[in-house]
Amino acid sequence: MAYLQVDGAIKRYGATTALDGVSFAVGKGEFFTLLGPSGCGKTTLLRSIAGFSQLSEGRIDLDGVDLLAVPPHRRDIGMVFQDYAIFPHLTVAENVAFGLKARKVPASAIRERVAEALATVRLAALADRLPAALSGGQQQRIGIARAMVVKPRLLLMDEPLSNLDAKLRLDLRDEIRAIQRTIGIAAIYVTHDQEEALAISDRICVMDGGKVEQIGTPQQIYGQPATRFVASFVGTMNLLPPSAFGLPSSDGVAHWAVRPERLRLSEADTPAQFAFSLTGAVEHFTYLGREAHLTVSAQGHRLVAQIAAPPPDLSIEAGREIQLALDLRDLHAFDSEGRRVTVGRAA
Amino acid sequence: MSAIADTPRQRSRWQPDFWSLVAFAAWAILILLLLMPLSLVLVSSFRDESGGLSLANWQRLFTSARYFNAFVNTLIVGFGGLAGALLLGSVMAFCMARLQIAGSRLVSMLAILALVSPPFIGAYSWIVLFGSGGIVRQTLMSWGIFMPPIYGVWGVLIVFAFKFYPYVYLLTSGALANINRSLEEAAENLGLTPFQRVMKVSFPLVLPALSAGGLLALIHAIADFGTPRLLGRGFNVLATEAYTAYSAEIGSNLGMATTLSLALILLSMVFVFIQRFMSRRNVYHSNLINRPEKVRLRGFANVAAHAAVYFIALGGAMPAIIAAIYSVRKTNGPVFQPGFGLESYSRIIATLGDVVRNSLVFSGVAVLLIVVVGTLIGCLVARRNTVQTSLLDATLMVPYVMPGIVVGVAFIAAFNTPPLVMTGTATIIILSVFIRRLPYAVRSSAAALRQVGPSMEEAAISLGYSPVKAFLRVTIPLIAPGIIAGAMLSFVTAINELSSSLVLYVGGTVTMPVKIYIAINDGDYGTAASLSTILLVLSGAAIYLAFRLLGRDERALL
Ligand SMILES: Nc1ncnc2c1ncn2[C@@H]1O[C@H](COP(=O)(O)OP(=O)(O)OP(=O)(O)O)[C@@H](O)[C@H]1O
Ligand SMILES: [Mg+2]
Repeated sequence: MAYLQVDGAIKRYGATTALDGVSFAVGKGEFFTLLGPSGCGKTTLLRSIAGFSQLSEGRIDLDGVDLLAVPPHRRDIGMVFQDYAIFPHLTVAENVAFGLKARKVPASAIRERVAEALATVRLAALADRLPAALSGGQQQRIGIARAMVVKPRLLLMDEPLSNLDAKLRLDLRDEIRAIQRTIGIAAIYVTHDQEEALAISDRICVMDGGKVEQIGTPQQIYGQPATRFVASFVGTMNLLPPSAFGLPSSDGVAHWAVRPERLRLSEADTPAQFAFSLTGAVEHFTYLGREAHLTVSAQGHRLVAQIAAPPPDLSIEAGREIQLALDLRDLHAFDSEGRRVTVGRAA
Repeated sequence: MSAIADTPRQRSRWQPDFWSLVAFAAWAILILLLLMPLSLVLVSSFRDESGGLSLANWQRLFTSARYFNAFVNTLIVGFGGLAGALLLGSVMAFCMARLQIAGSRLVSMLAILALVSPPFIGAYSWIVLFGSGGIVRQTLMSWGIFMPPIYGVWGVLIVFAFKFYPYVYLLTSGALANINRSLEEAAENLGLTPFQRVMKVSFPLVLPALSAGGLLALIHAIADFGTPRLLGRGFNVLATEAYTAYSAEIGSNLGMATTLSLALILLSMVFVFIQRFMSRRNVYHSNLINRPEKVRLRGFANVAAHAAVYFIALGGAMPAIIAAIYSVRKTNGPVFQPGFGLESYSRIIATLGDVVRNSLVFSGVAVLLIVVVGTLIGCLVARRNTVQTSLLDATLMVPYVMPGIVVGVAFIAAFNTPPLVMTGTATIIILSVFIRRLPYAVRSSAAALRQVGPSMEEAAISLGYSPVKAFLRVTIPLIAPGIIAGAMLSFVTAINELSSSLVLYVGGTVTMPVKIYIAINDGDYGTAASLSTILLVLSGAAIYLAFRLLGRDERALL
């Protein structure tokens, strides 16, 4: 049986429904990520699991025990708050030691574990400072250390890296992942950053409007999006009407979709190696460093194609004719309700 | 893990229980000390002398020339005080917030001095200088310049302007200093003339502060009882009439006193609602990126600005300064002699020790009650957003607009007869101070708590602290400085409280402000001045402590 089991969770605030029948299961030791647009209910879900807001309906079990019967302070669920919630009257070290004191850990062990945790989040030098003078990112890291140092049964993290620079983000997300693996706890991680979600998670749950859109491994989420929403929310996706470019028509398909990196581009005069090709004019060229995006307008449709590892002197002027080719197996198909459909010929 | 397996119990139930208890106690207190006395006041205003139901009192209020005068005069002092306070306060606020004024710390100290001057001594000090035999007036007369004595309506209005300008000044200067300069620059950039800029941008931005300060001045002017009593010379207002109706040696008329009190409350309420209505949309938050700079004026303009600022500041602090000077004048009995000496103080030590002690004990106990009850109710109001707590919050607005005289009269009406007889005790004075000041404590602790926000406590809970422990370990330390500072400021108002104590005191429960009132009436000015100085020193010490804890913020005094 799953370690954490959320069943039919519904949370209403007056007329708004923040959670609309959310169900999922998280295994012990699993790193589970909630991904979704702002306001889709991620924080609400975490707060319900932690016990700070009561579900209107539904059930949450942890390790076979009905969590709703357990008061929040006895749930032993660590939480990294979206607004940090760092205690301003305690020093950085005291903040981190706070949960250990509640667990009556001996003073010497507290000192050791606090020092270790602060080193992990790169804050050892600030141990005796008060948090008021620290930057947002530094406070965020105190929050991470404070929640992880007690080794809770379940760790909830609400956008814990949102305020850090790109480099620190990468370092810390690997640290978080490593610690979570070593102590073998389950973690639920909230993020806006799709790349982060893909990189760090065992499984990802994509939410929208209080509902679960898809739960799956990063490969499934990116490679086989279950709905049109997932397809366009995670990564970039070119959506095309069923009849565009004379694509093979198929019953029940309301949209075709293809990832930019699946579109090959060839100069207009080279023959296409793929089953399907189309010609368009370059609208603009965006250089992004390790890749470049080419926006192409073809027969009234706009498509984004990706050029991997563009040479530094590459520049493609607008208006140029260009030929795009794609393998029909790379096409995704969605029905009129946005659900994925399998099309015999395309698959 | 085991903690959970061991105790499979229902959802934690303590929070509702504890806070329901607090809510219950809060309502009990409000019913006993506020709603019950007030409804008795209401009932009593509808009884005639013989105790029968009648509209006689209300009829008299509107038909008797005397009461009608008092009513009109109350409006006159209210709006006159408002106008004077607005004028002096906004001039002062503008100069202090936008111009470089030499000695600005001294000026803001003088403003605080004006704010905490013990009641009554102010009016007396004005008489010392500008009364018929006043020093300044006599000097001018000897030079051949005629100056009318300060009695009557104009005297009252002048005193009010100098007494209440700090409300407007402190609130408005804060707002002016916090306007994001970029807004004014943007207006300039969009082509508005300086005058248009002031009218269309700056003025609307400070309007909420201006109207809040004006409201405070207005409410205090309406409720003020000492100034018209001493300076009015026949200029009667509702507050003095209520006191007279209550305290008349022969034919004390509680029914009329309560009617007049109700008229006062209703009047104050009307103004509170008008002000709320006016500033309902106008809550602006600015993100102080670009604070306005203080301009250095030159030449005549600079002299004029300094003259205005120091004229207002010294005028407001004058009563306190005069009291301090007169407290060390040589006296023989109640009569001043040439030269200086400490007779007044030794007389206080010899004969008025219990008065000083009464003041300290009463205010100490009252403040303790205010802090404990106020903090608990504040937490309740801030954390529980239900109809019941909103109602509680609204009910707490009532003491906010109740003039002291009214509280006194209401307590007499409620606690003079069984089942609960408290008249003549220290308890009744302490409770009257308590109920008057409770709303301030509730508001300040609720505000402090809203700043902390619930996620701090939740973080502690998620780390394994029970809700009670989380509250004690996290929330209390965070709001403690605010609470202690609030307590100090409550102490200042408690120890200076005159009007309700004046109605409620008996021989054994005389406090310093009451004694000052008696001493002035008896012509014993030396005692009055030295008692006032002691009050000033005590208030100053409390304010100093509060500023140490809160950071210097004069607006906390309001
Ligand atoms: N206390 C509340 N009262 C009313 N509505 C609320 C409350 N808390 C959340 N909501 C609403 O519930 C919905 C979900 O909010 P939630 O905070 O869970 O979003 P989120 O996914 O965490 O968003 P973000 O990524 O911006 O943090 C939103 O529409 C929000 O407005
Ligand atoms: Mg959120």
